[in-house]
Amino acid sequence: MKHLIPEFERMKTRLPPGHDATLLVPCLRRIQEDRGFIDNSDIDGLVEYLGIPRIQIEEVLSFYGMLRRKPIGRWHLQVCRNVSCSMRGAERLIDELIGKLGVQPGETTADGRFTLSTVECLGSCGTAPVVMVNEAYHENLSAADLDALLERLD
Amino acid sequence: MTAIFINGQSVETGDHTTVLQVALANGFHIPHFCWHPELSVVGNCRVCVVEHEGRGVGIACNMPISDGMRVLTDSEPVRAQRKAMLQFILLNHPVDCGICDKAGECSLQDYHYEYNGETAISGDAKLHSTKFFPLSERIILDNERCILCSRCVRFTREISKSNVLGLENRGDSMLVRPAEGRSLDDDPYSDNVIDICPVGALLSRSFLYQARVWYLEPTPSVCPGCARGCTVQFWHRKAEWRLSGLDERHNTRVHRVTALENPRVNGPWICNKGRDLPELLDRPRATQALQKGAPVSLMQAIETARGLLDQAGKRVALVSSWGSNEELRAFRNSLGDYFTSFVKPDHLPLEGEVVEDDLLIRADKNPNTRAAQDLFGTAAAEIPDDTELVLVWGEGVDFGTLPRGVKILFLGSWLLPENGHADVFIPISIQTERRGHYTNFEGVVSPFEACQPHRDGVIDAETLFPLLSAPGGSASGGGAA
Ligand code: SF4
Ligand code: SF4
Ligand code: FES
Ligand code: FES
Repeated sequence: MKHLIPEFERMKTRLPPGHDATLLVPCLRRIQEDRGFIDNSDIDGLVEYLGIPRIQIEEVLSFYGMLRRKPIGRWHLQVCRNVSCSMRGAERLIDELIGKLGVQPGETTADGRFTLSTVECLGSCGTAPVVMVNEAYHENLSAADLDALLERLD
Repeated sequence: MTAIFINGQSVETGDHTTVLQVALANGFHIPHFCWHPELSVVGNCRVCVVEHEGRGVGIACNMPISDGMRVLTDSEPVRAQRKAMLQFILLNHPVDCGICDKAGECSLQDYHYEYNGETAISGDAKLHSTKFFPLSERIILDNERCILCSRCVRFTREISKSNVLGLENRGDSMLVRPAEGRSLDDDPYSDNVIDICPVGALLSRSFLYQARVWYLEPTPSVCPGCARGCTVQFWHRKAEWRLSGLDERHNTRVHRVTALENPRVNGPWICNKGRDLPELLDRPRATQALQKGAPVSLMQAIETARGLLDQAGKRVALVSSWGSNEELRAFRNSLGDYFTSFVKPDHLPLEGEVVEDDLLIRADKNPNTRAAQDLFGTAAAEIPDDTELVLVWGEGVDFGTLPRGVKILFLGSWLLPENGHADVFIPISIQTERRGHYTNFEGVVSPFEACQPHRDGVIDAETLFPLLSAPGGSASGGGAA
């Protein structure tokens, strides 16, 4: 995390003095982007850098489902299973992925290629069902589209 | 002067800034779980709702005062919202009051009877959660009973500053938890969270299942654990609930200690040492007067002591810093002329104990050093080799350090080997068996009352001192002064 401190310092200049703790969520997001997850050493680093007690960082990490404490696979498949996507076949996509990858939602394949997650509405109901692969949206997915998509991910 | 109307009655707001504070200060009760006078306002429990006429219903704990505002604490919309909130808070609560230590002094129980009174309207199965989660050696947490008011969390952040506790996860999976790798063992004030928890989620292991609180009553007292002299309540069985089926110890024991709120000394808090006083008080007591180790009657011992006083040339007294103001004055009035007196610390900091901090804990581990030193000076004890009699009052003196051959008159309360090494040993009462006052390090005087029966064979030091100097004996004044 130490190498990100210059970036954090720039973020600080946008805040009134004495509000460093406000940087907690932006810092955590940046660390996750950089490392893929938040490591214990990152928490220790933030305790020191932001001067807030460890428990407050743990609270935030446990509150936001999108912040991770453990590494994930190269490709993170997040399948929306909220109302619109479920009505348009998301459950079938999930079953198919479980079968193909041999993992349950929340798990990573043994080769470290894929992590499968189910998530709530991705805000793209008009193009349901939606699967997010890392940062990219894949919309209106049929089972065949999904197969083709998996082929392209090494 | 700002005034507002509560239920049509005009009240002054004084220094207060919220409707809840003004209401409570003027005798209007508004239920509240999360609000606590010493903690920040979070407004998460929503039972303190009131109606601001013309503006609708809102939470009183975070409703600012405005001149002339009209507030209703018990209107129809208020009652309806409170009821709904209580139903909500009880959604996953186990309602296991029958086996809960808090029953009888639980806000949730009281408010339920007063403001809800209905069985659950939800037919959904309750969610289960952790029971008996250890937060420390001293405290266990029942997450099913926790209503997530966050008082305990704010206490560790804002008052004790140990920052141990937090609220993890979200919604109905939210849990009070310690930070990873930490526990409330790091917090010398941790047991206050048991008191401020509005429900029975935080439980004292030493008090767990010991007594239903309605069998107990509190006696106001002062913690002798350090020079702060926090005011406390000693909880013991009510006289009418002393049962023949229980042994003497259970019937008379101090079962728990809580803070007695006192803005001049300790606010509403005490440290964990104060909570552990029952252990100190439970030590085996000395009830038998001794002469060189041989049992004698109390009167015989007093007679012999008077003889010693009479015969000795140089006399030194080591005065107890645990004596009450009354006892110290009695000593000075009756015996001050006979002795060169020094104040001694009866107790020193124990290994591992917090010696001093900037909340309450003081380095001097004795309750009344200030009053004793006001009477007998601050000089450290110096006992010349030609001293013939040393009076030792209370604990903390190693007889091996006294001049060889000196006669020892020992006044003590506990069953100790030293008792038999003194020429005369006279058993005296302890704080819980008599009333009195202590003066704390800042000069604040606090009273304590008796709450345990006086034991046979034991005398109050205050009664003893005049007897030792009574003209019936031939001791004459004018010794070393
Ligand atoms: S344990 Fe008690 S004080 Fe702490 S949040 Fe739960 S109900 Fe509130
Ligand atoms: S701070 Fe001192 S007087 Fe207060 S409870 Fe603790 S030991 Fe007792
Ligand atoms: S329900 Fe899937 S994007 Fe909204
Ligand atoms: S006391 Fe006001 S919301 Fe809890």
